[in-house]
Amino acid sequence: MSARQRRLLVALTVGCAALVASCGKSDGGSSAGAAPQPEPGATAVGDVPLGDVAGAAQSTLATQFPNPYANDPQAVQQGHDLFIKMNCAGCHGYDAKGGMGPNLTDGYWRYGGVPASIFNSIYQGRPQGMPAWNPALPPQDIWKLVAYIQSLGGSYPAGQYQAWLQGDKQGDNVPAEVAASLLPDQAASTPEPKGGTANAPSVPPQADIAPAPGTGK
Amino acid sequence: MDTCIKIIERASPLLLRRSLAGAFALLLCQPMVAGAQLSGASTPPRAELGTGTAPPSPDMTIPEPGMKAPAAAIDSPEPPLNNAHANFAPNDPPGEWRRQARDYANTRYSPLDQITAANVAKLRVAWSFSDGTPNGHEAAPLVVGDTMYIVTPFPNLAYALDLSKAGAPIKWSYDPSPTPLAIGKACCDTVNRGSVYADGKLIYNLLDDHTIAIDVKTGKEVWRTKMGDVTTGMTMTMAPFVVGDKVYVGNSGGELGVWGWLAALDVKTGKELWRAHSSGTDKDVMIGADFKPFYSWMKGKDLGKMTWPAGMWKTGAGSVWGWVSFDPETNTIYYGTSNPGPRVPSQRPGYNLWTSAVFARDATTGMAKWAYQFTPHDQWDYDGINEDLLLDLTFDGKPRKVLVHFDRNAFAYTIDRTTGEVLSAEPFAYQNWSHGIDLKTGMPKVVAEAQPKPNVKVNNVCPPDIGGKDWQPSAFSPRTGLVYAGIFNICMDVTDHPQSYIPGTPYDGMEMTRHAAPGGNWGEFMAWDPVAGKKAWSIKEQFMTMSGTLATGGDVVFYGTVDGWFRAVDARSGKVLWSQKLSSGIIGQPMTYLGPDKRQYVAVYSGVGGAAMVSASEPGFPPRGGVLYVFSIDGESPHSAAGMLTTEGAVPAVRSERGMGGKP
Amino acid sequence: MKPMTSSRVAAAAALCGAPLLADAEPAMSYLHTFGPAGDPATRLGWGLAIISIVVVVVITVLLLAAALRRRLPSADPRALAVHRDEGGMPWLYIGVGVSTVVLVGCAVWTMFTVAAVAMPTQTVLTLQVTAAQWWWSVRYESSEPDRIFTIANEIHIPVGRPVRIELASQDVIHSFWIPQLAGKMDVIPGQTNVTWLQADQPGTYRGQCGEYCGAQHAHMAMYVVADTPQDYAIWVRDQLRDAAAPASEAARLGEQAFTAHCAACHAVRGTDAGGILGPDLTHLMSRHTIAAGLLPNTPGNLAAWIADSQALKPGSRMPALALSGRDLSATLTYLQTLH
Repeated sequence: MSARQRRLLVALTVGCAALVASCGKSDGGSSAGAAPQPEPGATAVGDVPLGDVAGAAQSTLATQFPNPYANDPQAVQQGHDLFIKMNCAGCHGYDAKGGMGPNLTDGYWRYGGVPASIFNSIYQGRPQGMPAWNPALPPQDIWKLVAYIQSLGGSYPAGQYQAWLQGDKQGDNVPAEVAASLLPDQAASTPEPKGGTANAPSVPPQADIAPAPGTGK
Repeated sequence: MDTCIKIIERASPLLLRRSLAGAFALLLCQPMVAGAQLSGASTPPRAELGTGTAPPSPDMTIPEPGMKAPAAAIDSPEPPLNNAHANFAPNDPPGEWRRQARDYANTRYSPLDQITAANVAKLRVAWSFSDGTPNGHEAAPLVVGDTMYIVTPFPNLAYALDLSKAGAPIKWSYDPSPTPLAIGKACCDTVNRGSVYADGKLIYNLLDDHTIAIDVKTGKEVWRTKMGDVTTGMTMTMAPFVVGDKVYVGNSGGELGVWGWLAALDVKTGKELWRAHSSGTDKDVMIGADFKPFYSWMKGKDLGKMTWPAGMWKTGAGSVWGWVSFDPETNTIYYGTSNPGPRVPSQRPGYNLWTSAVFARDATTGMAKWAYQFTPHDQWDYDGINEDLLLDLTFDGKPRKVLVHFDRNAFAYTIDRTTGEVLSAEPFAYQNWSHGIDLKTGMPKVVAEAQPKPNVKVNNVCPPDIGGKDWQPSAFSPRTGLVYAGIFNICMDVTDHPQSYIPGTPYDGMEMTRHAAPGGNWGEFMAWDPVAGKKAWSIKEQFMTMSGTLATGGDVVFYGTVDGWFRAVDARSGKVLWSQKLSSGIIGQPMTYLGPDKRQYVAVYSGVGGAAMVSASEPGFPPRGGVLYVFSIDGESPHSAAGMLTTEGAVPAVRSERGMGGKP
Repeated sequence: MKPMTSSRVAAAAALCGAPLLADAEPAMSYLHTFGPAGDPATRLGWGLAIISIVVVVVITVLLLAAALRRRLPSADPRALAVHRDEGGMPWLYIGVGVSTVVLVGCAVWTMFTVAAVAMPTQTVLTLQVTAAQWWWSVRYESSEPDRIFTIANEIHIPVGRPVRIELASQDVIHSFWIPQLAGKMDVIPGQTNVTWLQADQPGTYRGQCGEYCGAQHAHMAMYVVADTPQDYAIWVRDQLRDAAAPASEAARLGEQAFTAHCAACHAVRGTDAGGILGPDLTHLMSRHTIAAGLLPNTPGNLAAWIADSQALKPGSRMPALALSGRDLSATLTYLQTLH
């Protein structure tokens, strides 16, 4: 072939190779090797307390452990799949509205409503019959379950540990006197009023506390 | 009857006074009713097969406002509709209630007749007792002598109330401290179906697989027997059944893949004497040379293993969470087994013996005499655990000893209890899973479209998993010859998801939504003629009728609804004579007793929960509760009078302490 | 080419260390089949290929002959430049006639072939094969329920008897293909397709998913082993048995480790492990390969697979487990007892 044709052929080959190389591996399966963000070690997540901390200091650990699969629709779908296949639906209902186990779509979380706390509840188990899923499920799978539960609308965002602890809900009015009495991290977790405040820390967008329509059966 | 009265009342302008018209109406119309019943003229039409068999049911008898109850005379009662009769052994004193079913035959019939159809409308609350637990209250209290014994849902507290003193003070109470782990393993609320009084002990099951006996005088634990491992998902909710020196207990956990069994314990020591499983080899199931099932598919060796895919019998369920009956003439106990596990049938081809079945066993040795499987290869969770009411009646002109059983699969079975032969099987509730039971083979004729398929939504299968009737027990009145029961009118849309077996988690896979069947009513209270094989009358209820039934010698039957109405019904006509709204829904078993003042009381728990929660999103579904209501005529009792009454001799009681930093 | 017998597979694996088995023999060749489910089609294939080649040769010769034919010079210089030859029609008549006969013959032959490879009315065995990403679950049906059991990826069938295969999918479209035995049959979610196999010679036949089904479609193989009737009966008897209870302390610890880490997804009959998400492992050691034909079943490969399956089969449902060395060796010890 001519030199021009040869050059065209080389360019085509190189272009195709580049295209193929740029295809990311699909995050198939119940757990792929690569999670979107670096994973926290499970023991560190386990340090998130179950309630409040003795003394004046309040815990901000939960803020350090957002769900690495947050906002990943594929992870939510895989979490839903696991929810059925690991028999979670048998206790919590196929619509996650409860049965043998509690309702996972409402805003009441006895053992914590932020992703790190929900992760710990699944990982460690809880009294009254919630089995521990470690080591049966690897941490990636548990985070995917958490992603599914978060998609149901009842949980608290990762930065809102204090809001869960204090029973605060979106739309709470916070009088100035109360706001003045809160510690900085308690104030930081107070659900933002509409419009936000200038020195509010950046927390992930708030999930709806009320169940989202269409997620129930 | 109603039409007759209406016609005459409309013609009343011709008569001088309405009251005369009313009296005239009753005089003219009453014989019509009696005549109709005796001649069987109230034979209702049967709905077409293929669209579901609506069981025979006459017009509703919902009381119309202003209509007074007819004056039923106890002194000259009408004869019963048939010659069905029962053995009321052990013939406990009429004023007492020593076991949940009142007697070995499970009649739940009390001969007390102070409360009659004439005066039952004067029933008022005499006193009440709150036990502090909010879960489903499915039991009846016991009364022995002057003491009432109460066992609560989890945490299974026991109370003894002194009925002879004002305020019914607590004589003793006991906290057995079951593990909270059991809470998450109970499929259908942390209920308890009652206790039994025997050998000076109060014997009942804890949710966490222990059977305990309390000395009734001191309130101290006499023995405690561990029956299973709660981490496998096994719990215990049934009421123990005592005959002589044996306590019969069974397990729960049919939705968690447990291995079902019935065991016999020694009443004095609690030691286990034998245990008969519901699947496995003949040795596991205690089947020997004397086993003579009537139908062919139950004849063979090790069928409890061979009718399952390799190894699946171990998680085959067949738990024994319902009722036990006993025939003293043949020394035989009868009881049923639960659905097979998993609930997804495609995972377990085969008949899945011995689930969804009734067993007849020698009460002493436990060896099986015969068995009959109501729903072979059950695909819809039709447990066989409902009560077996032992009756003697004439069938086809011959006297037979039978058991009457309203199964979850919506068929009312009359079975010869000496051989296991099915004499009749008629639907008592709306069902479309079957074209009927072939009496020659004993097999149901399954409708192909009603069979669930994995990962496919099958709509409108009737009845749903909880059946045409669930564990709520029926009652028999020898005075009418009728069996009374609360039943359901529900269907389900079901999608099956094949499940892994992970011990301690559900081995289930049925995704369901339930809705009312044609008619729109979720519940119905019926009177069933066991000889004729059809309903004599029924009362439709908007909410589920999941309470037990009580029949009395005063020709009144009692039942409660899930939205909290406790009703008294004329045992012959089915007219609702009295209704009282209680604080929560009623799923408990009503009972009646004579107080120390020789007055007849009727008692029932209100406290909704259990499987009634499947209708929890219906408008009007009540909140939970846990209050025992005791009724008497005009509410009279030693616990209320003019002046300052105080409690005498009470002891500090154990408390449930839920949600208050104490027990979970 | 000779089919692979079990001993040859073992020998090949042993000799070659841990290469893919496919390297050792041309197992996926569909040009030579070994059973009536495929033989008529193979014969038809060869027949049509030969006929096509012959036709191509004949036509090429004729074309060349026509193109290179010399023409005689014209005697009269004033004659027309175009001179029609006469007498060419017989070529057409013969050509069309022969073509028609051959084509009709091929069509008829095809009809007979289609009929020949249709499902026989009587089959001795029914298998329910469920395809999942990226492995095969196989349940042996039986009229006696207690002879129903589930295995994965390596199917045994009795030689010389027709076997019915019912195909279901857990997720996407796959295709069931054992080239040396039969053609492909797609596995479509939501419906059950039926095909059949028969192997007339004992041996091992490799199969493959034949419809792209995701990242590891290329590693979704299976093996069909055709046994003599005695061998088959022995194999079934062994498969029906529950897993033996662990005999040594090490195996017992291994069973604990296995149940803790693996039981939620895998089943071993006779233990509490009842997971159905992954292959049934009750008789893992009776299989020649693991990971759906990806690796020979050797301790080293098993260890590598359990330690980091994602490195070997990225995207597969088997998660990368962070097992400690002790747990890993304990689990391996136990798995090696599952014969």
